[in-house]
Amino acid sequence: MKLLAKKRKNGIENLTGYILILPWLFGFLLLYLVPMLSSVYFSFTNYNLLNEPKFIGLDNYRRMLFNDPTFWKSLGVTFYYVFALVPLRLAFALFIAVLLNTKMKFLGVYRAAYYIPSIVGGSVAVSIVWRQMFGNNGVLMSFLKLIGIHQEVSFIGNPFTAIWTIILLGVWQFGSSMLIFLAALKQIPQSLYESAMIDGANMWQKFTKITLPMLTPIIFFNLVLQTINGFRAFTESFIVTQGGPLDSTLLYVLYLYRRAFTYFDMGYSCALAWVLVGIIAVMTLLIFRSQTTWVYYESKEGE
Amino acid sequence: MKKSNMGKKLKPVLFHLFAATVGFFMVYPLLWTVASSFKHNSEIFVNSYSLVPERWAIAENYTTGWKGISGISFGTFLLNSFIVSALGTIGGVLCSMLAAYAFSRVKFIGRNFWFMCVIITLMVPNQVMIVPQYIIFKRLDLINKLQSLIIPWFFGSAFFIFLMVQFIRGIPVELDEAATIDGCGKLSIFFRIILPLLTPAIATCTIFSFYWIWQDFFQPLIFMSKPKYFTVSLALNMYLDPNSFSNYGALFAMSVVSVLPVIVLFIMFQKYLVEGIATTGLKG
Amino acid sequence: MKKVSLSLMSMLLVLSLFIAGCSQARDVDEVKTEPTKAAAGETEEESSAKPVVLSITWWGSQTRHDYTTKLLEMYSEKNPHVTFESTPSGWDGYFDKLAAQAAGNTMPDIIQMDNLYIATYTKNKTIADLYPFVSDKILDLSDVPEAMVKTGEIDGKLTGAILSSTALTVPYNPDVFAEAGVPEPTPNWTWSEFEEAMLAIKDKTEKYGYASDVLTDTNLLTYWIRQYGKSLYSEDGTELGYDDDQIFVDYLKMLYRLTKSGAMPTADEWMQIATKGKEARPVVTGDAGAMFEWANFGVIVESVNPNLKLAIPPYADNGTKALWIKPGMFFSVAESSSNKAEAARFISWFINDIEANKIINTERGIPVASKVKEALKPQLTKQQMAMFDYLDLAANEHAGPVSPPEPAGSAEVTKAMADQINLVLYDKKTPEQAAADFRKAANEILARNAQN
Repeated sequence: MKLLAKKRKNGIENLTGYILILPWLFGFLLLYLVPMLSSVYFSFTNYNLLNEPKFIGLDNYRRMLFNDPTFWKSLGVTFYYVFALVPLRLAFALFIAVLLNTKMKFLGVYRAAYYIPSIVGGSVAVSIVWRQMFGNNGVLMSFLKLIGIHQEVSFIGNPFTAIWTIILLGVWQFGSSMLIFLAALKQIPQSLYESAMIDGANMWQKFTKITLPMLTPIIFFNLVLQTINGFRAFTESFIVTQGGPLDSTLLYVLYLYRRAFTYFDMGYSCALAWVLVGIIAVMTLLIFRSQTTWVYYESKEGE
Repeated sequence: MKKSNMGKKLKPVLFHLFAATVGFFMVYPLLWTVASSFKHNSEIFVNSYSLVPERWAIAENYTTGWKGISGISFGTFLLNSFIVSALGTIGGVLCSMLAAYAFSRVKFIGRNFWFMCVIITLMVPNQVMIVPQYIIFKRLDLINKLQSLIIPWFFGSAFFIFLMVQFIRGIPVELDEAATIDGCGKLSIFFRIILPLLTPAIATCTIFSFYWIWQDFFQPLIFMSKPKYFTVSLALNMYLDPNSFSNYGALFAMSVVSVLPVIVLFIMFQKYLVEGIATTGLKG
Repeated sequence: MKKVSLSLMSMLLVLSLFIAGCSQARDVDEVKTEPTKAAAGETEEESSAKPVVLSITWWGSQTRHDYTTKLLEMYSEKNPHVTFESTPSGWDGYFDKLAAQAAGNTMPDIIQMDNLYIATYTKNKTIADLYPFVSDKILDLSDVPEAMVKTGEIDGKLTGAILSSTALTVPYNPDVFAEAGVPEPTPNWTWSEFEEAMLAIKDKTEKYGYASDVLTDTNLLTYWIRQYGKSLYSEDGTELGYDDDQIFVDYLKMLYRLTKSGAMPTADEWMQIATKGKEARPVVTGDAGAMFEWANFGVIVESVNPNLKLAIPPYADNGTKALWIKPGMFFSVAESSSNKAEAARFISWFINDIEANKIINTERGIPVASKVKEALKPQLTKQQMAMFDYLDLAANEHAGPVSPPEPAGSAEVTKAMADQINLVLYDKKTPEQAAADFRKAANEILARNAQN
């Protein structure tokens, strides 16, 4: 009897589960699976979009690994970008979110102001202002001159520092991460803080013993997403530096896009894409694996 | 006594000073765009450091910009963007919500496998997917209709699914269990327990979704060929041609106009982030 | 309760889709032209008059979109059986979209085409040969100089009907020259005179002598190489067209000298200048003496500075005429089009009709039909007239043979050239090394693309 009831319960759960994910599943099969499989196929071909793809086996991958210094360069640039941007951005977003999670006046205004960069993100205006800010006559140079540092080449024209202008552009757009942290902060039960206050905890203890642990699922989420998005970054370098100077800001996806549409080299571009997916998958897996050591879930249901 | 009083008065001042300074840097490019939309074309780049125009051209820029492209006014583009963003957001958030609930609270066969697929879709660059997607839509005869921009969102979005999964996992299972004992089925647990607690996440997703769809350029570029169905992001791009005279004043004017709805939506929805229903949590 | 919520949700979804569908039916301003009377079975003298819808696409800015739409309406009035579906676009993304359409076999009938891409599209048989329509007299190119017609010919097929022509020029600011006490350029000035002038301007006025883009296209380099009787690309486009690396080395050295002396902006300074529109170029604002540009530059910035003049680019000491008349843009017809004849007829009208060209008013470049040029002269502004005169001068006295269209892979070669120039200007390579590396990279790229 008990077994039958359990089987029936499982059956209903299975059905419920699939009904709930049905729209997503349908979309996945139609709009993702087929294109993904196509692009995997294209990666083994010579395809310029205008004509039928021609099968060439592993040639694209061979060229990538042994005959394409730009591939390695863009990979290096992208790794550097991710490892610099993600911690900075998360730390900043968390800091500001905690700061704004108080009862001060004009909070809504500040929140809106901090989110604006994410809204204007990819616009022509940003690309122009950013270049001028870090340019020869820009705000930054004037400031440096004031404190006595003299720079020959502007930050944005210097192959060593140009990547930092792009990183800063990413950090500047921390608004979206901040919003997510704010939402998560709102979810932490007030009762926890109240009990802590009764126990005599100070601000720092409240932060480290209550806020941080309760936030770890969201920190985890932001970490995964920001890492994935970091590897996929495109617009920033596309509109501000077009990958220059000397390819020092050539993000991987920008190179991929150029291969596909500017050089009519779609097959090779698909190969690049799947190498990227592989790399992101490995990084994501590492972060997922690390969950058990530092992420605290209220609900202990399966991971 | 005096010290702590000073401290108390100082705290808000420091707070506002810091927050406002950071805020200014955040907002500066937008201010620049607004200022440029007020300037005459000849002045925009020549006098780019000053936020105050020497030669005002507000009416000129805004009316020229509003005229739009080929007889289609900018209002049409705004309407298209609005329809696509609003419907796409409704569909996307709704669908993702349901899927997220399933992935986090419903035990079904293959759950982990499909969740992995969700994560994988986040990793593949859009640029290589767009041409096969275009061909699929063409076969379904959905090209050149706004539906082609809206329908994909009704299949949910990996980002929102993942986000809500994480939020839901922050909700104690004991609440679910209590409700089950009271005789609730899976779906009513969703509506009565989970959904109310998910409001901040839903508000966040709504804001993100609306904004992302609003400013997406690549998708409408490839899928739309009739100007009357163009979205704002696409239309703005048509004001620029590097080889001929581009009307930057009009472009910036319309950029300002196109950013306003998103800001308005944000201001409307952000209070849901603030007034997220406080959980009573567990007793004891 | 479960059932109620589910059905509520599904109703919501259906409702939203319904609303989306309804909005399509709403009549928004359409770019439709005059309704066709041909539906009633009216016939015309010329060939078939069955109603035809031509799809057409072009890039440009707001001005171009507006007047082109007017032109389409005008044509439909005169040819009621023809209606248009147009897709205007900005330059960015235009060719991305075209590639996607080619892959999906949905290319528009009439396509505005650029010199950079025409070879690739032709070699892949995605655009049609228009010579049959020329011989059938549907596409009338009799009034266009043959050399210009041939700029659209690849592998013996005419895949691009030339719409406008232009040529390289040196727009200069006479005021800056006067300020520096440097004599204005003469039509036969040499590179040494050019360098002298640029350095003098820098010395006397602290302004740039010459502030121009040398990185995003190969045109200046092409000009330079042509002065030695060679071309950048070989005839068949599978390798470089010049053997002596010293040619490129000399070019690099000149750029290096000018940059180091401050007469030319550094790559980094140029990058910031380039972010602003053409109206803010140093030559226009009086912060530089000269630059290299296409002949319509004076017209583009006329509203901001109407006093610029156009000079013939400098000569090498060997006196070879290296200038060439470049096609501004083409109209091509998709190979997949089922209305090729009608498309060709429209293109013919676009090129030859005087009323139409009065509306176009040189916005797409200098018209190629001689009757049209004559008819336009009375309505031209000062700079437009100067542009016409310049092109006549260039064509008659300073131009060499026409340059073939860019071969497949040229975009990548351009990037390779920019990389090498940058490495030299940033002091990371010697010009000799850069020239050799460029040869290696370019040949590899061209060979790989020739296989396609």
